[in-house]
Amino acid sequence: MLRAIRPKGKTIFLYLLAPMIWYLFAVFVPLITALYYSFFEWKGGPKKTFDGLVNFQHLVQDTVFWQSFGHNLYLVAICIIGQIGIAFVLVLMINSRLVKLKGIHRTFGFFPSTISAVCVGLIWKMIYDNKRGLLNWFLNVIGQGDKTQVWLNNTEKVMLFVAIPLVWQFIGYYMVILLSAISSVDAEIFEVAELDGANAFQRAIYIVLPLIKNTLLVCITLCVSGNMKAFDHIYSMTEGGPGYSSMVMAMYGYKVSFQEMNLGYGSAVSVGIFITSLAVILAVQKLINIYTKDKGVE
Amino acid sequence: MKKKLLSVVLATAMVASLLAGCGAKTEAEAPAAAEEAPAADAAAGLAYTGEIDFMHFSTSEEAEGNGGSMGFRTMIDEWTTANAGITLNQNVLANDEYKTQIATLAAADDLPDVFLLQGMNTKAWADQGLIMDMTDIIAQSPYAADYNEAYFAPFKAADKTYGLPALTGGTCTVVIYDKQMWKDAGFDTFPTTWEDVLKAKEYFDGEGVDTIAFGNGGQWQINSCFISAVSSLFVGTDWYLSIINNDGKANFTDQAFVDCLAFTQEAFASGVFNEDFNAITNEDAREYFIAGDAAAFVGGNWDEAYITSTIKEADAAKYENIGFATFPGPASATAAKNVQNIGLGYAVAINSKVAEDPDKLAACVDLAYKLTGPDFANYVATNYALGGLTKVADVDLSAFDSVMVDFYNWSYVDTTTCEIFDSYLDGSVWSVFNSEAQEMLNGDKDAETVAADTQAAWEASK
Repeated sequence: MLRAIRPKGKTIFLYLLAPMIWYLFAVFVPLITALYYSFFEWKGGPKKTFDGLVNFQHLVQDTVFWQSFGHNLYLVAICIIGQIGIAFVLVLMINSRLVKLKGIHRTFGFFPSTISAVCVGLIWKMIYDNKRGLLNWFLNVIGQGDKTQVWLNNTEKVMLFVAIPLVWQFIGYYMVILLSAISSVDAEIFEVAELDGANAFQRAIYIVLPLIKNTLLVCITLCVSGNMKAFDHIYSMTEGGPGYSSMVMAMYGYKVSFQEMNLGYGSAVSVGIFITSLAVILAVQKLINIYTKDKGVE
Repeated sequence: MKKKLLSVVLATAMVASLLAGCGAKTEAEAPAAAEEAPAADAAAGLAYTGEIDFMHFSTSEEAEGNGGSMGFRTMIDEWTTANAGITLNQNVLANDEYKTQIATLAAADDLPDVFLLQGMNTKAWADQGLIMDMTDIIAQSPYAADYNEAYFAPFKAADKTYGLPALTGGTCTVVIYDKQMWKDAGFDTFPTTWEDVLKAKEYFDGEGVDTIAFGNGGQWQINSCFISAVSSLFVGTDWYLSIINNDGKANFTDQAFVDCLAFTQEAFASGVFNEDFNAITNEDAREYFIAGDAAAFVGGNWDEAYITSTIKEADAAKYENIGFATFPGPASATAAKNVQNIGLGYAVAINSKVAEDPDKLAACVDLAYKLTGPDFANYVATNYALGGLTKVADVDLSAFDSVMVDFYNWSYVDTTTCEIFDSYLDGSVWSVFNSEAQEMLNGDKDAETVAADTQAAWEASK
């Protein structure tokens, strides 16, 4: 920005002050208080007993928490492939010269991400419904009645079934982000590659992917953080059940805090979610960096 | 790298902050409970003229067809009209949201002045000094002589009583069945043994309908609406009191209780219930019965109110065929017969801080008396054939149709009653039990493991 029209540092600071205070209040204060409460045996109310690291010792040995963490990792894996992967493919298709009415594709693609998560959960719960659900009805119509089942009571596959609505809802969200990234790439690069004989797959892997690497990294970070805190879809579809089969960390934290009224341990679970999420995000970023360096992308 | 690390920290901070618990305002001791209860002299009027914050779950939707909620709302209206100088700030939420919200407010030591206390929270909240000891207030109530003493049990801790039981004394486990469908299956009334239910299942399977509809998608239904009553058939009614009193005589690992869990597992594996019982709620399951897709339904009095009012409007003939029964056990379960669990699950409680303002306290107590006193009891008895905390001497049943009379007699006259089990113990016990019972119903866990894990949770909660 030209120095002549750049506001003074003091002005910028004042403009940023209110949102920064709000951000600190909404993000850091709860984080610090959660850490503080995690050192107490606290069932709610004014009385609490300091018990040091007991909650964390319990957390380390809590099989339900680690099972939930595993479910979150599963969601992250499914959603990185499902949400960003499919979004990337769709973006390439929409960008193709062959596709007409691109605006409509973009709008309708984005539409599901504007619906509230609870509504999405309820819609998919109806789709999965055993007696009146769309899925079992469709299987019956196509003569595959023996494949009908109580989808959300399938202990082994329920995580996959609750992940599908998550994937469905956010494909459009990542599609819009990736579209804007690709739009900023000079079209001549693609034309030259095409003239040089690169096919669509080669253009996607060796040209598009490296050029939007940073945006992709943002998408993956958003996807990981979004799925490490997954709650509302699962709450409205299964409440973590059957048993703990679809329990995720946020749901478990809620259950411990507000159903068991064990707020001290619930705070320790929150801290556990923070630490594990941090580790997962760092690990994913590291993996991406290693992968892209191997491919000669930087 | 620093920027990257910062971005990662910020992203994860956002994740964790969304999950962080709510904060308590202070660690200071809550004010002591009221030592002296204010006299309830309605004729003298109330000196207080400010605001009272009141939280409950009798929404207008809840009140449709639900006598308890309708009576509760009517009493509130009458009280606010009679006390125009007092502003009653009502926060009315649906039951599920209410439970979460009130727990959050309790955790933050920010309870409203008057609210509905669930039995299972009594001990913990009393220990925290959050709720007022109402023992003297209850003793000095002008209606004390007419109170049904048994209903106070879930709201007692260390010989003190912390609430006036509210709404209607309703069952949590009633079998609602279609008499005609069961007659067609060869049973004039609902079977009194499990073996007969299995025989009826063969008929209903042929008809393409479920024998009994049940929904356990919320996980609590198997506990509140099934095991709480059915276990009495195995362990007897005294076993509950021993668990509640924690006298060391009863444990969840007792063979009789394990047998009950094993029976429950077997019953749900038998195909008598709709196959999606673990994936749908009681609200969904009762629609199966209303639609004729199931010959019977198991649920609580709230389901009964919805089912009867819905069928009454939609299908007069089916309405006349509605019958009520207790859940039958196997021949081997001989500890009790014809048992249902009934009580008042919530009580009107007062925030202990209200004691700081005697005039306000007098107004809150007056409101509590009104909501649980003879006006309420007469209203629900006269209009809905239901009972509340205050006894009504002679309920005139002549004005009601046969279904309402049947349900009144079934609820208050013809059945043996047991406690609503989950009203007494800590939520942490039920959280473990409910999750594991859901797995048990799927066949993923055995009865012994569920009993052992529940026992461990119970011991940890003491």
